[in-house]
Amino acid sequence: MKPGCPRLFEVEAWRDGRLGGAEAERFRAHLKLCPSCATEMQSLEALGEALRAPLPHENELHVRRERTKLLAAFDARLVPPPRPWRSGLALVAAVATLTCVVLAAAFRFVRPAPAPTVASHAAPVSEAVAVRADSSARWSRQADAQLETIRLESGALSIRVDHAASPRRLRVILPDGELEDIGTTFSVSADSGHTTRVSVQEGSVVLRLRGAPPVALGAGDSWSPSPAPLSASLVPPSAAPPSAKPVIVAASPSSRVPPATGPDPSDEFAAAMAALDRSDDSQAAALFGAFVAQHPRDARAEDACYLRVLAFQRAGNTNAMRRAARDYLTRYPRGFRKSEIEPLVGE
Amino acid sequence: MRSSTRSTPERVTPPVPDPELLEQLAAGQLGALGELYDRYQAALRAFLVRATRDAHDIDDLVQATFLAAAASAARYDGRATCRPWLIGIAAQLLRRRRRTFSHLLAVLSTLKITQTSTSDPRTALQARTDVERALSRLSEAKRVTLLMAEVEGMSCPEIAEALAIPLGTVWTRLHTARRELRQALASEDA
Repeated sequence: MKPGCPRLFEVEAWRDGRLGGAEAERFRAHLKLCPSCATEMQSLEALGEALRAPLPHENELHVRRERTKLLAAFDARLVPPPRPWRSGLALVAAVATLTCVVLAAAFRFVRPAPAPTVASHAAPVSEAVAVRADSSARWSRQADAQLETIRLESGALSIRVDHAASPRRLRVILPDGELEDIGTTFSVSADSGHTTRVSVQEGSVVLRLRGAPPVALGAGDSWSPSPAPLSASLVPPSAAPPSAKPVIVAASPSSRVPPATGPDPSDEFAAAMAALDRSDDSQAAALFGAFVAQHPRDARAEDACYLRVLAFQRAGNTNAMRRAARDYLTRYPRGFRKSEIEPLVGE
Repeated sequence: MRSSTRSTPERVTPPVPDPELLEQLAAGQLGALGELYDRYQAALRAFLVRATRDAHDIDDLVQATFLAAAASAARYDGRATCRPWLIGIAAQLLRRRRRTFSHLLAVLSTLKITQTSTSDPRTALQARTDVERALSRLSEAKRVTLLMAEVEGMSCPEIAEALAIPLGTVWTRLHTARRELRQALASEDA
């Protein structure tokens, strides 16, 4: 500190708000007249400025990946894992509750369902898929190692899927199409050979009806044939990779690979990145599309969706790029790259 | 509050006020967390980079801060900007991490199974400037307090509340931190 003024120590005190009202005002007046204190003030301000010097910008792709990781972690916390029972009382309560649930389920879910119209189950149906049917619903359910299929002829079903516990994907066959669950909770109704309503409470689904482009529905969305979809966004089939199959719904159960035994998503993402790096843009777009289709809940899915748009853009395939851009906005309406993608839709 | 590095108009004038955003977050809305991240991740990351001497767990700390904020969102006090609140959470996490690390060091030194020095073995800060080097010589408690005041523009009472320490301790830390920082800078010059 510079000598010369007995009040020099008050500069820092004044700056930190340590001086009271009248005292602060008196020091403010002093500061205007005292060169030593003014110099000390400037020195402290310079120190603060040095501390505030901007840091190098973080890599944007890294920031985006961290964002995706954060949202995935938050999402996972919303569905807490089962916890060990801590007391005998809790166990007794659980048994009682379970008994009630089983009785209720036997009455409400199993009874209304007609005998399966499809072949007998190749594998036991998953307990991770809870189906609630209305009293008039005509439906059946079957499963194999990779896919669980619910066939709805008429009536209404409410379905909840615990993806953390479910070993296989779920498909709902409708009278006039099909619906693939990539979310958690939704309901679907059909009547007279037509789907009449789809409503999504959590997660998302893709609705494919014959003669119409697939419709992606997110949480809170609902669909009905007339009037037009309320808040759904179209996902044109041609936005898919060159396999010419729809972007989200795989063609057959055999193409669905369960995460536990399938290829490592990291390898698939790396392969897509490698294609992009060597400017094999069409191939990169296809690989990113496949990645998104097969791993929609992977932390890198948003990256893949975005990079697919870039790959189409670099390949000069404007129409595919627009469709991919719309697909990105449908999947990630508040996505990190939203501001970059939006202009491309109408470009 | 100083503006974040993201400067698009929608960030300058957020469409949803912070208190409302935190209400949505408390209700479990995923989009609210994404918006909060977009608004404050840069500021939070910068604070943590400056405040900690090793950069390898910055990402973890940023994640932990936002997740802790999500868990506490229902208790947010409704201030117009939640940046100081987030910074406070980050500072608390830093302090907790430091205590855990100190405990680990104590265990290791007891076991004597490694050649770990009793001094802080964390990776040296990749300092790019004299100020950063000088800052890295301060204790983490003083460094965090100084950054909250000088970079985040938080008042001393705000800092005291965020760190759950007496106001006098904040004043003392600030004074000592500035003195040590100046001494370190003077020795750099010499």
